[in-house]
Amino acid sequence: MSDTTTARPLLTPERVEKLRDYVPFIAIALVILMFWAISGDRFMSVRNWTFIAQQTPVLLLLAFAQLMIVTTGSIDISIGSSLAFSAFLGALGMLWFGDVGLILGVLAGGFVGMVNGCIISLLKIPSFVTTLAMLIIVRALVIIMSDGTSIYITSDSGASGGNISSVAAPWLLSMGKFPAIFILAAIVALLMWAFYEKTVFGQQLRAVGGNEKVLRLVGINVTTFKIKVFAAAGLMVGLAACVNLARAGAATPQAGMMMELDAIAAVALGGTPLTGGYGSVVKTIIGALTLTIVRNGLTIAGVPPSWSQVALGLLLIAAIAISLNRSKIDVVK
Amino acid sequence: MDGLDTAPLLTVEHVTKSFGGVQAMRDGSFDLNRGEVVAIVGGNGAGKSTLAKIVSGAHVPDSGRICIKGVEIPRADHSVSHMQACGIEVVYQDLALVPNMTAPYNLFLGRIPRKWGLFVDEKKMRKKTREVLKQLNVTTVQDLSQPISSMSGGQQQSIAIGRAIAWGSDIVILDEPTAALGPNETGEVERLVEDVRDQHGTSFILISHNLDQVRRLADRIIVTHHGVTSREFKRDEITSDRLVKAITLGE
Repeated sequence: MSDTTTARPLLTPERVEKLRDYVPFIAIALVILMFWAISGDRFMSVRNWTFIAQQTPVLLLLAFAQLMIVTTGSIDISIGSSLAFSAFLGALGMLWFGDVGLILGVLAGGFVGMVNGCIISLLKIPSFVTTLAMLIIVRALVIIMSDGTSIYITSDSGASGGNISSVAAPWLLSMGKFPAIFILAAIVALLMWAFYEKTVFGQQLRAVGGNEKVLRLVGINVTTFKIKVFAAAGLMVGLAACVNLARAGAATPQAGMMMELDAIAAVALGGTPLTGGYGSVVKTIIGALTLTIVRNGLTIAGVPPSWSQVALGLLLIAAIAISLNRSKIDVVK
Repeated sequence: MDGLDTAPLLTVEHVTKSFGGVQAMRDGSFDLNRGEVVAIVGGNGAGKSTLAKIVSGAHVPDSGRICIKGVEIPRADHSVSHMQACGIEVVYQDLALVPNMTAPYNLFLGRIPRKWGLFVDEKKMRKKTREVLKQLNVTTVQDLSQPISSMSGGQQQSIAIGRAIAWGSDIVILDEPTAALGPNETGEVERLVEDVRDQHGTSFILISHNLDQVRRLADRIIVTHHGVTSREFKRDEITSDRLVKAITLGE
């Protein structure tokens, strides 16, 4: 490290490397400024930010689930279906056992995750293929179980009638609104940060993504660890499903469709390489917020939904192109 | 139980190991004394890696006896974690480090100290890492928060050897420790092995293709040939020619 006294260019390679760390933060600031400039007070209003604070939590929890799995170098594309399945079982649980039955929703997510983990670890089928199969199977199960109908959460018990299933749970509906939903998300985010950054389990997620073989050599049981990771992520999906149930006021067979892709996009927008070994909870929060804000901003600016999807796709490519140093990657698969 | 103190640190007697139809180890025997460096040499497929993996616990032998300090290891207990508990550690040829993790994490791999049962005790890890690096006279590793992929090969191998000796192990198996390193870094690692042996009385089992290195470091050299530990030489009584003959022809 010999420091020379000659003038150095402003963007040295080390500085560029350091800057890459800040890309998610710069991106979200630019996005906010841009929509503020375009839509003014309609975007920058308390009402709209309350809306964003209500919209983000479900995506955020799904992104956390995805972050755990992506850090180990795997991927889970079944979480959208798992969300529908969990929300449905949560609602059923409430029909059967009352309010406590909602816990069934969380457990259902953990169960789907555990099944994923077992298939991947024990049968040694790549996570992409396994969770693709589960995406199809679990969605089909929801449709079979629900017979295509929804279970509604209502604010009073008198509203249900006929063959429409409904549960009266006004407390759950109020959980789905600002500020309760926001406070819940903030608590989960804090716990997730401690879990991911400070625990032995969290460090092991990165180590598995870095060199799984070595961990096996030193006697760590990677097979059961991976099952635990998928189960833990599944529990997070189950929690997201309960939050979604509160937010949407219904468990529908179509819930969570394409949400797996949003979750992956939020993780990637947070600068986490999908190849594993690295990741950050704070940047994943930024990623999930960016995604929600862009979608919200484009809607307010009057961009048709199809075109906003195009814009989101382009943003994703741009974010990854800038935030990851691809010159060190020799093979792109 | 007399004679325990005079028994060799490690005795391997007539171990065998097959994989499917292939007999990788037909008859492996050798012993290792305290503070000794024993090299195992042999051509490709001669069984030296298999022998090392049996000692490390990665392979369970089909038959034969392994004794540590005169006490036989029951075959049912034969595993990496049991051998670690008995004081045997391995440094692998491909470094066996986790590249995206820090030096402290790699040093503590598989033994991460916990706070309140759940959290990583980072302070303890950093303190111990500095101690180990100081013991090894490694002064080049300064920043403990960097992933080790940003370090040189020699520094990485120092961490790997540090991991092997940091836990008070009696026996360290070096599996091609310098195969991936340049000449300067190889010298650095060899110096480290000699220092550790002299200061801690650690015993080493060296698996190497590099016969010059074997003759520099080893007190005794075991030659494996077609899955049999066929010959044994003392460092002083061997010439390169005889060693090559023993490896290629088994004589």
